[in-house]
Amino acid sequence: MTQYLTESDVRRIATYARIGLTEDEVGEMTTDLNNIIESLKPITEYNLEGVEPTFHPIGGLVNVMRDDAEQESFTQKVALENAPKQQDGCFLIPSILGGGDQ
Amino acid sequence: MSVQTAQPFATQSVAEIQAGLKAGEYSAKEIVDQSLERIEALDPSIHAFLEVTADAAYEQAKRVDETLAQGTFDELGCLAGVPVAFKDNMNMVGTHTTCSSNMLANYVSPYTATCVERMIAAGALPLGKLNMDEFAFGSSTETSAFGPTNNPWDTTRVPGGSSGGSAAAVAAGLATITLGSDTGGSIRQPASFCGVVGMKPTYGVVSRYGVVAFGSSLDQVGPFSRCVRDTALAMNALAGPGHDPHDCTSQKVTTDFLANLGDGVAGMKLGVVPAFMEAQGLQAEVKEKIEEALAHLKEQGAEIVEVDLPNAAAAMSAYYVLGPCEAFSNLARFDSVRYGYCEPGCKELGVQYEKSRSAGFGSEARRRIMLGSYLLSAGVYDKYYYPAQQVRTLITQDYVNAYKSVDCIIAPVSPRTAFMFGEISDPAEMYLSDMFTISINIAGNGGMSVPVGLGAQSGLPVGVQLIAPAFKDENMLRVAQALENVYGAAPVAPDFAGKEGA
Repeated sequence: MTQYLTESDVRRIATYARIGLTEDEVGEMTTDLNNIIESLKPITEYNLEGVEPTFHPIGGLVNVMRDDAEQESFTQKVALENAPKQQDGCFLIPSILGGGDQ
Repeated sequence: MSVQTAQPFATQSVAEIQAGLKAGEYSAKEIVDQSLERIEALDPSIHAFLEVTADAAYEQAKRVDETLAQGTFDELGCLAGVPVAFKDNMNMVGTHTTCSSNMLANYVSPYTATCVERMIAAGALPLGKLNMDEFAFGSSTETSAFGPTNNPWDTTRVPGGSSGGSAAAVAAGLATITLGSDTGGSIRQPASFCGVVGMKPTYGVVSRYGVVAFGSSLDQVGPFSRCVRDTALAMNALAGPGHDPHDCTSQKVTTDFLANLGDGVAGMKLGVVPAFMEAQGLQAEVKEKIEEALAHLKEQGAEIVEVDLPNAAAAMSAYYVLGPCEAFSNLARFDSVRYGYCEPGCKELGVQYEKSRSAGFGSEARRRIMLGSYLLSAGVYDKYYYPAQQVRTLITQDYVNAYKSVDCIIAPVSPRTAFMFGEISDPAEMYLSDMFTISINIAGNGGMSVPVGLGAQSGLPVGVQLIAPAFKDENMLRVAQALENVYGAAPVAPDFAGKEGA
């Protein structure tokens, strides 16, 4: 079978997609993805010259604008209800650049 | 002990329930009492429910009973007093919305999805939230982080998926109507496996506001029920109030889905696709049932016409490109900061992202995120994603051409009847169970599964798929009713029929 992805490719994709994988999982994921990509082969074999793509199943959609009127929305309390960590009415995150304590 | 009825309320049709309510034989509160007792007694053997919403059901029952007292019951809505439940990817204030994922195990709905709101506005009694494949990634409900749902017809078998809980709850008579969502067959395939009616309307007919997104160019919400009329009633409740300003894909639909149920199929032209009927992997007992259904429709005066969908074979690979790409984008929102699982003790945000997403998502979700990420990467995009969207054009044209000569297409739903737990472990093989349903999501038109009895070999339910032109969903309801006139409404699965559950 064609090897579309190496383990190092899979590590790179995992970093990009922010999915932490153990070494064992990298191996398993590499096998699974190669199998699935192999099954997608027909899509690369059609003669599609001159065929326009359809990105959305309903054609002719037009942008809809609502009136620029104030509307009630979530309160800050509701918006924070599902936050794993919060402080002073804000989402709380650890250091972005590293070296933080939290 | 709740009120005694010949048949439990949740096993009855909308018409039966409402007739008794109006005659003063029982109250909506008594419907809720008995339905909750039944869930408590019988759901442990199938695990369709993830959460029971007793408070919301009683609150709504009070509203229904007040209209009965005031003589305004008929004004309440077409689902007044009807026990319903929702797939757990639909937000409903006061409930969790977990998508059967550890990522959202503790997530509390901050608002209510339009589809849920409209069912409740029509007077339905909300009993709870239903199990599914994690984030709707699957065809068996085996990927639920909270354990699988069992098929009520044979609890050693899967109910199908991803809306397995929604199909099983109706088949077991634990609700009269449930809602599911369908991205590649996730309403129709479980409806077929559990022997109930399941409808995926045309893309845009039902609002998706408040439904957790999987594939945004493919997802559509629709109902399950045991008779065609109840599905049509649910569709009227869902689409009747018109365009939802919260969902840009929501279309203004003026169809009365009940209008042509009694019209019969005489004079209708119904298409059959030879390539589907001869497809490799289509089980003999399923094929027999489809042919039998076609014969019945012909007998009732329909003209059966062969039509070709020459590019339908490409739908499978197009779907497994488009689905993961859209899922990758949609699941990027789970960042461990605003909501969802957060790995404790991380000192850097990047580490917190990776650890939370790896612990929160199950293996199928991770696989699809990774696949989508790869397929959208530079150089790869042109090889898979762009051609998949070109193939979508061809498939859509195929359907447009076919509907020049027919009003509705008749096809299998699934190549086989319900399989055993663990029977299919290869992801690529599992994907094949959607081979007849996927092209409809790609093209965006409507499709539904209607039960046509049991397979000769397995003794398990078989569904026939009816596929309508875009925004002509009433065509397939008309055919569905004609089939129901022959086969009868879907029965409650034998082990659950007639059980009081109290």
